[in-house]
Amino acid sequence: MQIVCISGGGSNRTKALADRTAHKLGYQSLNREQLVEEAVKEGIQVSKLETATIKPQIFSERLALEREYYRAFMTLFLGKQATEKGTVYDGRSGHLLFSGIDHVLKVRVVEDETSRVKEVMQQLNIDGKKARRYLNDVDADRNKWARSMYSVSLEDAAHYDVMLNLGHMSVENAAAALSAIAQLPDFQVTPASQRSIEDLMLGANARVLLARDERTFRANVKVRADRGVVTVTYLPQDAAIAKIIPEVITPLAGVREVSVTMATTNILWIGEAFEANSEAFEHVVEIATKWNAAIELLQFVPQEAEGQEDLLSADEPAALSQRPDFVRECIGGIEEEGEVVCDDGGYQETQEALARLGCAGGGRRIVGGAAQIVKSIDRTVTYTLIVIGDMFLTKGRSAQMRLTRQLQGHLSDQIKDPIVNAEDLKSEFLFGRRDLLRLIGGLGIFSLILFLIFTFQEPVLKFLSGVEVKAKVLAAVTVFIFVPGIAFLYGNVARSVMKLIRME
Amino acid sequence: MHTVLGNMFVSLNFATAIQVSLLGFIGGVLSGFIGSGGAFFMTPGMMNLGVTGVVAVGSNITHKFGKAMVGSKQHGKLGNVDRRLGICLILASFVGIQIAVWINSRLFKGGGDGHGAGGSAAADLYISMVFICILSFVAVSMLRDALKSRGPDGDQGPSMKISNFLARLYLPPYISFPVSDIRISLWVLIAVGLATGYLAGTIGVGGFIGVPSMIYIFGVPTAVATGTELYLAMFMGAFGALNYAFQGFVDIRLTVLLYIGSLLGIFVGVYGTKVVKEILIRVVTGTIILLCVLSRGIAVPMYLRKIGWLDMNPNWDVYFNGASKFLLFAAGTTGMLIILFNVIRAYRQRRRIERSLRGVRKMEPSAAVRLDVSEQTN
Repeated sequence: MQIVCISGGGSNRTKALADRTAHKLGYQSLNREQLVEEAVKEGIQVSKLETATIKPQIFSERLALEREYYRAFMTLFLGKQATEKGTVYDGRSGHLLFSGIDHVLKVRVVEDETSRVKEVMQQLNIDGKKARRYLNDVDADRNKWARSMYSVSLEDAAHYDVMLNLGHMSVENAAAALSAIAQLPDFQVTPASQRSIEDLMLGANARVLLARDERTFRANVKVRADRGVVTVTYLPQDAAIAKIIPEVITPLAGVREVSVTMATTNILWIGEAFEANSEAFEHVVEIATKWNAAIELLQFVPQEAEGQEDLLSADEPAALSQRPDFVRECIGGIEEEGEVVCDDGGYQETQEALARLGCAGGGRRIVGGAAQIVKSIDRTVTYTLIVIGDMFLTKGRSAQMRLTRQLQGHLSDQIKDPIVNAEDLKSEFLFGRRDLLRLIGGLGIFSLILFLIFTFQEPVLKFLSGVEVKAKVLAAVTVFIFVPGIAFLYGNVARSVMKLIRME
Repeated sequence: MHTVLGNMFVSLNFATAIQVSLLGFIGGVLSGFIGSGGAFFMTPGMMNLGVTGVVAVGSNITHKFGKAMVGSKQHGKLGNVDRRLGICLILASFVGIQIAVWINSRLFKGGGDGHGAGGSAAADLYISMVFICILSFVAVSMLRDALKSRGPDGDQGPSMKISNFLARLYLPPYISFPVSDIRISLWVLIAVGLATGYLAGTIGVGGFIGVPSMIYIFGVPTAVATGTELYLAMFMGAFGALNYAFQGFVDIRLTVLLYIGSLLGIFVGVYGTKVVKEILIRVVTGTIILLCVLSRGIAVPMYLRKIGWLDMNPNWDVYFNGASKFLLFAAGTTGMLIILFNVIRAYRQRRRIERSLRGVRKMEPSAAVRLDVSEQTN
């Protein structure tokens, strides 16, 4: 069923909006307090998490695990509630729990400061100045919570579908507008979005089970699920529990397979098609092995909107009926369990190859334009590297390169993690012939500069310590130009040496 | 130690050049590991090699300029630079640097014959005293935090007293910084910028104040604090380098020699942070800084004697200088060896895993996964 997540300032008007919207849609209304109560019953130390997140301090290892547990539990609980009945949730960051799920309507509610201040003045019986400061503190704390728990800002409009300003609208009208938007086809459950939320809940359920089990609750694990395949990545120090993980997860309904991978970080590989025997595959695996990373696949199925030549502007995923057969079969969720007979662009084969090499990090497939890629990337996960592989395959070579570059730029604007084209992987992260030449050339030039400086020490120092104003200015300018040059030159030499010994 | 051009620049032979590069390497390793500029080690290290304090600071701040430029470019690629915050801090820092350069050059020239010994000693004493006061505070705070984190609740992070105190104060106007997602009072911003600039200009140490200030006073995420500090250091370094170069206090030979070691060392140090436990990082860092402070403290009587404030046999200088030098090198070298030991151990372990993984490529999927698990178990 549908979920409407409303993120507001915690005021009575936002609560009233959630209740009115739920009433109009015939949904149940839930708020953050109810969910937190359930989390506390579960044994999660929410108050400690709150204290740790609103103060700028480093999370202890134990609290970081508690944070994972909390997120998984909230996702699971809210998802389960919504399974039976449509739900309107009023909480600060519900929309971040269901990032990338199309039928979850994500709403940001803002109010004018004057009415918020008035409400606080009445509630707390304080003057306007104190109320304003109180609200500033509350907003800052809410933002710190979102940043600490999900690594994103609540103010980032990209995470919402709709923004409502209650300063210019009555609660009743706002509720009417929201209920009308919620009924638009864009926010209805589709087989693809249903599968996405099922995967999300399966992953959350698996994470909660691992947190509940006394053998695995101390382990720092990340869980992902894709069509019943649950991928768990664990840190090297938790190697002892690797064999226990499948025992804990396998009894879960909906689990077809459990893949357990040791990894300290993640690499996301985006592509239309993957090939286990390709050069790109070798490079990605080599880097993942070097960095001890799990590779997560994100298969992108382009959907060119009518009249749009550029896939980057084809933001809207087409309706399922308009999609190609391969997409309908593989993405639309109509194939029978275990019977994937379509051409999946090498996805399955690559996943299996990654599992063989012990660096599978799960994966998923999406349909649409560049905006869908951005939307589907989990912002709460930090990727050491995002690799853009084979994309826009139906285009000519030049258009393919141009669009890939555009996509890289587009993603870089939206996502903070480093993004690299698969073709640049070798030159950026692996030592090749070009690096060798750069190393020899750089070293040669640097040695020559060194030789000249030390051969002509006295004239150099005399030049640098002139007494005339003109000489002083010249010395300062020379130092200003020379020093960054030599730093970049030798910096590249040092970087190449580190690449050579594989110690970046 | 022989000098050239009056007694301003030290004469460099092969052995001295190696020692300066080694200082750069140790400073680089510590810098990459701790996240500061490493000046706390390199500046006094060069002074112990006979380089006058003001030339050591000038050459080091010039070295910092290029290094920060390379570092901030890399951080910029990762989106870790809050340019707005950086520029605001830079404006205040420039004033701080200007004050520091002015005091340093007045002390240097005022006490002697322009580039004379008396002036050098006065400047050295002043630099040493600022160094001792500031870094003692940093080291003690760091060790206290490390000891606290051994408690039953584990690592609870550094003390939030300053942050909480400032949060209670209402000091308008406030400025918002979207990249770091924070709001800061303009007055707090100016105070931190001035302090950072003054310390960078006086002892070449900026990161020790800038990074913790941004994290603990402003609430900036750690990665953004480091990236922004490097961005700031680039401008401060450039400004400091221009100023010191204009005054004729930059020894480009020392700067280049420092680069040889430091740019390699930084990579090793950064790698170390990924493989060494957080508590060990803090203990090692705090202890190294404290020993560096002690080393500088031992040298103080020499400067006091030179400016006539202490009646001491000049022949004792060699012992004080030797002890100071030994302590500094012992501190830096021991710290570096601990870091290197952990880095090499982790590096070898990783290579072993890589070899194992390569070996199982041709095996069955299930077997490969099993081996992956057992490899880690062993």
